[in-house]
Amino acid sequence: MTINGTDLQIAFCGSAGDGTIAVGDILKQAMAMAGYRVIAFDQYPAEIRGFGKCVSRTRVTGEQVYSMKQQTDILVSLDDSHAIPHASEVRDFGAVIYDNAPMSLMAEGEHISGHLQPGQIPYALPIREISERATGSNRGRNMVALGFVAGLYGLQQDVFHTIIARKFKTKPAAVTTDNTAAFDAGFDLGAGEFLFDEISIGEPPAKAKHEARMLSGNSAVVEGCLDAGIEAYFGYPITPATTIMERLVSEMPKRGKRALQTEDEISAIAATIGAGYAGVRSATATSGPGLALMAEMLGLSVMAEVPAVIFVSQRGGPSTGMPTKTEQSDLNLAVFGGSGDAQRIVLAPTNVEGCWRCAGKAFEMAERYQTPVIVLLDLYLSNRYETVVVSPDEQFEPNMSKPMVKGKADEKYQRFATTDDGISPRAIPGQLGGIHTVTGLEHNDMGRPSDQPNIHMDMSEKRHNKLAKAIDHPGITITKRFGDEGDVDVGILAWGSTFGESLEAMMLAREEGIKCAAMKVVMMSPLPEQPITDFMDSASEVLIPELNYEGQFAGIVSGTLGRPVNRLNMVPGTPMRVDDILAEIRKLAGRDKRDAA
Amino acid sequence: MSAELKEPVYLEEKLKDIQDSGRLDFRSGSLPTWCPGCGYYSMTEGVTNSLNELGLKNENVVCVSGIGCASRFPFFVDVYGFHTLHGRTLPVATGIKTANDDLTVVVVGGDGDGFAIGGGHIPHAAKRNVDITYLLFDNGIYGLTKGQTSPTSSQGFKTSTTPYENREQPLKPLMMVLSYGASWVGQAYAGHQHHLADMIKQAIAHRGFSYLHILSPCVTFDKTNMTYQNMSMAVRPLPEDHDTSSQMAAMREATKTDAPGLGVLFREDRPTLGDNLDAIARSAGADIKPGTAQAAE
Repeated sequence: MTINGTDLQIAFCGSAGDGTIAVGDILKQAMAMAGYRVIAFDQYPAEIRGFGKCVSRTRVTGEQVYSMKQQTDILVSLDDSHAIPHASEVRDFGAVIYDNAPMSLMAEGEHISGHLQPGQIPYALPIREISERATGSNRGRNMVALGFVAGLYGLQQDVFHTIIARKFKTKPAAVTTDNTAAFDAGFDLGAGEFLFDEISIGEPPAKAKHEARMLSGNSAVVEGCLDAGIEAYFGYPITPATTIMERLVSEMPKRGKRALQTEDEISAIAATIGAGYAGVRSATATSGPGLALMAEMLGLSVMAEVPAVIFVSQRGGPSTGMPTKTEQSDLNLAVFGGSGDAQRIVLAPTNVEGCWRCAGKAFEMAERYQTPVIVLLDLYLSNRYETVVVSPDEQFEPNMSKPMVKGKADEKYQRFATTDDGISPRAIPGQLGGIHTVTGLEHNDMGRPSDQPNIHMDMSEKRHNKLAKAIDHPGITITKRFGDEGDVDVGILAWGSTFGESLEAMMLAREEGIKCAAMKVVMMSPLPEQPITDFMDSASEVLIPELNYEGQFAGIVSGTLGRPVNRLNMVPGTPMRVDDILAEIRKLAGRDKRDAA
Repeated sequence: MSAELKEPVYLEEKLKDIQDSGRLDFRSGSLPTWCPGCGYYSMTEGVTNSLNELGLKNENVVCVSGIGCASRFPFFVDVYGFHTLHGRTLPVATGIKTANDDLTVVVVGGDGDGFAIGGGHIPHAAKRNVDITYLLFDNGIYGLTKGQTSPTSSQGFKTSTTPYENREQPLKPLMMVLSYGASWVGQAYAGHQHHLADMIKQAIAHRGFSYLHILSPCVTFDKTNMTYQNMSMAVRPLPEDHDTSSQMAAMREATKTDAPGLGVLFREDRPTLGDNLDAIARSAGADIKPGTAQAAE
């Protein structure tokens, strides 16, 4: 898919310590500054320090896209042993850039030049030598390689200079000088090289109306929290959610807000609920294992009708699972986890901008509907970077609480009063005339414990029905259809980060002439049944791709709506491959035979 | 023989005296549901009297409880209440206090709620010096679930879950809480109601994490160990020369569980969680004046 003439994906491969992630970071920042749209995802090992394999992929486009490409245009090897497995992902006429170290020094099969496919264009450079000549050290190898890519594809040199200076501004000046020198040496070499590639980078798109920010999913969550006026945060470190807390404990105090590291996840959500009860916007963030610990407290938040916002970044499970690998296997826990009938709101953003919006909307919804709201991310979404452009006009409501209205003097305040919209006016501690006790016990409209049959039935209905209003909550798109309109052969229903790959696969299928549409579902609970039903009605076959073993969303959709769906489930620990979704689409559209022939 | 006749006491006048004293101002319309003779009645009296004497406004007080007999307490007082989950009182109270420093937060719980399921939270509330009051009613038994062994049950105690006798050594909560760094630690006995009330008042008045250990017999499920008879014989006031600023002196008294010493074991003044969070905000550049609480809107 080529948009606006520009669609370039660059992968750097190397060992931890080669500066692989660092050059990837400079590349994406520079491209964003030049006005392009960027999506980038780094993969690195769980080891704190070691010789693990790092891959930093950056896709540069004219308009924002929401997935990586299946095929990479440029592969840069900073360590052949780690780059060799990725050689096959480079497309025809794509560039493979590597060090021309003498092969005699390496064992057979260790040099990447022996692994290139016919059609891939090799660029064997004396990377180490250039680095040593430019800086007196071989530590600038990564910058030489980056400079070569920039020179070869005609990227703007001055933007890179700015970003390099910014990245190393806290280091001694020599660091910036050396890195710039290494970059320039590589750039000059690349600029003089003949570009065999048919793709060259187009002009950046017309300047967007609003400034583009380069954010990861987790940092977008942080921005959303701050923009929504978060007052209190409580958290316990857990991969891949920790960076949310690390940024909040740094940013919130600057604004006079309070953030605290608690002793465990149970106390994190308990304090979040305590602060919510005291009337402030509060949140916590965790991953699947932490959410499992929080499940009982979610029930308290439901029963006592106290707002709470919980960010969950999923990783491979069950149990400790795969802490640095991505998965979508905590959906059931997020939607159903806990004892009893504990309905709650669950939002699952599909891209980084969505992380920002869902974060802010979660506070509005928790406050409005007096309920826990879970925002479900996954490691892929948490850690990947995208350029985000949000209009400054788009703001979150600072207060959506339905406050207690002072009644007559002799009228006793009813915290859980039955109302037309199912939402009871709420008093917060410190408010005169609003004294009440909330409890995890079933209770009457005064909040007094009661286990009478009619009270439990009425209160269960009240707690359930009030959430239906969230489906029409303003300012957030909870389902959206893309691709062909009307009846289609294949309809893809996707959620979370997998929607990006689904969208890409859907567009490729349409290029092949398959009538195809994709719908993203952002609100996982309560399920927006009507738009999903309409979408399923329009498709001969419905496909639900997701990164879990049994098809958790497929289970919810088919269970709730009573319809058959086709599942595509994978648990590789990495994002779903566009090719795999595309293959499934072809199969469902009856096209797989033609391809085989 | 009494030497002289006193003026007769009329019930109506007595009632009026009580009402005028404000002692009932913090009582809710609901009557306690505990067994007759339960030590928790002393708590109700002690807490409501203390809140009144400290001149607090009902709406500025929050009572937090967990699960257990003591945990029904918020329903019997006319203040904001949060009846939370088993063992989770302290983190909820920490959240409330973090959100609004102006609230007076009183946490009520039993030995099971505090030292079994909730045991992991006490050290952290104490070390952070959250400005809350923790009233722990120790009856050495699980009463609400009808008589199972608790972390403070005595050795040899036969309960429904230790039918052959409890062979484990009971915890020594006072020693634990002292070493956790609680900034106010005291002990009282439900049988000495006026002393208890005074201790509750001191605990609430303390700025920081105050822990009051209250020995409170369960008249229904414990007929042999922590009975009023046994406890009344065992308890004693702390020595008059007890040094409340010395952690070592407090620790020595805390070891004497056979003859529990009643009074303030330890107290110190140090910055609270709120103070520290404000200091952090100031070092981050926020405009927060020392000593002013984050205002509730």
